[in-house]
Amino acid sequence: MKMPSKTVALLLAGAMAFGLAGCGNSDSSSSGSGASGDSGDKTKITFQNIYPDPTTPTYKMIHQIVDQYEKEHPNIDIELDTLNTDQQKLKLKTQAASKEIPDITIVNPAAQMKPYIDAGLLAPLNDVIDKGGLKDTYQEGLLDYYSKDGKVYALPDGNNIEVGFYNKALFAKAGIAAPPTTFDELLADVKKLKDAGITPIAIGEKDSWTGSFLFMNILLRTNGGPGFLQDVADGKKTFNDPAFVEAVDAFQKLVQAGAFPEGATSIDATAGGNMFRTGQAAMFFIGTWETGANDGSTVGKDVSVFKFPTVNGKGNPDEFMLAPGSAFAVSANSEHLQETKDFLNYFALNLPKVSFELKNAVGLGQKVDGDFKAAGYSPLAIDVLDLFKNVKGGDLSFDNTMNPAVSQVHLSSIQSLFVQQVDPKQIAQEHQAAFEANP
Amino acid sequence: MNVLKVPARTIAIFVLPCLILYIGTVFVPILVSFYTAMLDWNGISDAKFVGLANFKILLFDDPNFWMSVKRTIMYAVFSIIEIPFCLLFAILLNRYVRKGNRLVTIYFVPVILSNVILGQLWKTIYNPASMGGMLNGVLIKLGLDSWTHSWLTEPAIAMYAIYFVSLWQYFGYHLLIQFTGVQNIPDEIYEAAKIDGADGFKADRYITFPMVVPIFKISVVLAFIGSLQAFELVMVMTGGGPAHATDTIATHMYNMSFLSQKYGYGSAVATFLVIFCLVITVIINGVFNKIERKVT
Repeated sequence: MKMPSKTVALLLAGAMAFGLAGCGNSDSSSSGSGASGDSGDKTKITFQNIYPDPTTPTYKMIHQIVDQYEKEHPNIDIELDTLNTDQQKLKLKTQAASKEIPDITIVNPAAQMKPYIDAGLLAPLNDVIDKGGLKDTYQEGLLDYYSKDGKVYALPDGNNIEVGFYNKALFAKAGIAAPPTTFDELLADVKKLKDAGITPIAIGEKDSWTGSFLFMNILLRTNGGPGFLQDVADGKKTFNDPAFVEAVDAFQKLVQAGAFPEGATSIDATAGGNMFRTGQAAMFFIGTWETGANDGSTVGKDVSVFKFPTVNGKGNPDEFMLAPGSAFAVSANSEHLQETKDFLNYFALNLPKVSFELKNAVGLGQKVDGDFKAAGYSPLAIDVLDLFKNVKGGDLSFDNTMNPAVSQVHLSSIQSLFVQQVDPKQIAQEHQAAFEANP
Repeated sequence: MNVLKVPARTIAIFVLPCLILYIGTVFVPILVSFYTAMLDWNGISDAKFVGLANFKILLFDDPNFWMSVKRTIMYAVFSIIEIPFCLLFAILLNRYVRKGNRLVTIYFVPVILSNVILGQLWKTIYNPASMGGMLNGVLIKLGLDSWTHSWLTEPAIAMYAIYFVSLWQYFGYHLLIQFTGVQNIPDEIYEAAKIDGADGFKADRYITFPMVVPIFKISVVLAFIGSLQAFELVMVMTGGGPAHATDTIATHMYNMSFLSQKYGYGSAVATFLVIFCLVITVIINGVFNKIERKVT
């Protein structure tokens, strides 16, 4: 069945445009040197990106590289279409429905980018990574998450893991000497922190992925290692597996112990992070992409990291929830495919160097030359970098592994645990039913 | 019927631009969405025609959908119950308050504020006391500690907390409509009635009520349709959570289309909403026509 002509797509796009018009801001970054009149014979490349905040290093990074490239290539005009993450996801879906995605856009790894590849919207980038030794700058195996049938379809901007950030000052106040290494210790610490009047774990569960991301750590442990969701997808296991039920049960214990702020399901992710960064909460389980933000906050000097503890004696703390970053993809229908690819090659080659200078090289997907300590990176950043060295594999988040329909059931299922006690077997069955209904 | 004595062609020329615009932006999308509802489509890849399968799942196999329909109807019922109070208030304002329209203007303020702002405002009011929630803070000050709740996150009460905000917001809206209706009743009629011995409440019973019925109907229809489409407020305050406890038809449609990436299924929900709105509007019109005939 072919698409019912372009009308559907157009109408969808029109409907969305109303919603998005107010939010996006596309700023052309063409520098002041060239007169605006001659942009007509320039090659224009649209670069959709998710770095809207001018105070962040990522914003500075993209502008610096783009300006530099335009200076070196006067005939190229790079137009930045800057949105925040959620808006970009929505806009791209709308654009994809009309098969008109920007020259460069942002996609997420594995299951989330699969529909775009299947629809033939993304151009293979093997020639891009072969140029200038770009391929070798990426960490071993990272590009696999963005590949299908030997073709690479996107270049990641980062590669993070999920860790527990904790506030040493608040731990000391509650009389806790060291971060927990077992789940029982974690529960005990939660109780001590609660008795001391401190919110134990910050979370913004209105954005339901946050709870899922934490829950998946527990599953990684109770399963005794990575690959549970893959086994389910391959039909080797079901969600009714004891490992899954045990994980739900452990997660419920954490909720029932009062680990999370009151009304957690109405707190959004940003506000959740701010609870930790303003010293209201003692722990924060999140990806290492938050390192810089935690570092720069008022409690920055008290913050350190720990690995997720073992659960009921199971699991290896050196296995982490892996979060390969959002990635740059090129439209297969781009009018200036070659120019776009050339630019992306330049961009990706320069990204590590510029990020390092901007002190934002923690959690990059590419190898970075340079001495972090000498460059003035904080003790927290160095701690995080040390954790990276010990990573012995792990799992991707739920929504990067399962299709969107199953993921949504999972997300609201986990969210429900925050507000009511449910039989873990029932949660498992909910998952299994959703998985069978949405193959 | 051509009272204007203008050639039909001229009328057609003047009506046409609007008609085309209306058909293009209202009718065609509705038809297209009905067609999309019969596709198994993730919005990106090619679609597969599945006939009425989406509707079958929707009507018989989606408990979240029926719960959201129930909440949406409750939303509408509460909104409609509010309107008689607005009418009463409007009558009182009109009778006892000089320059009542100034007060009406003030009551109207929440309507012009963006739903997003209101949602954020009430979210902070509803917050648990530990996060500085105003409502809970006041309750504690009054010594009513046992009444405190985490208003937006307890599944049993979260939806009522949202209904309340909506009632608060639209009170001024319906008050304005009713107030205008009441004001438009000519004074002479009341004077005549006074001579006949009908005054105060009696005058309301035999003059005000019958004469505002058409205006009352407008409010009821607007309240109903508005409630059926309830979306922004819910999205800002709870996002339909915790675990679907505050999903309405519109948020369910959004979740299905954009988050679960089942555009076809989302369109089926949308189609249901359109048909539902049409049916209800016809019913309301029928009921009011009867009432109008009875009282006038």
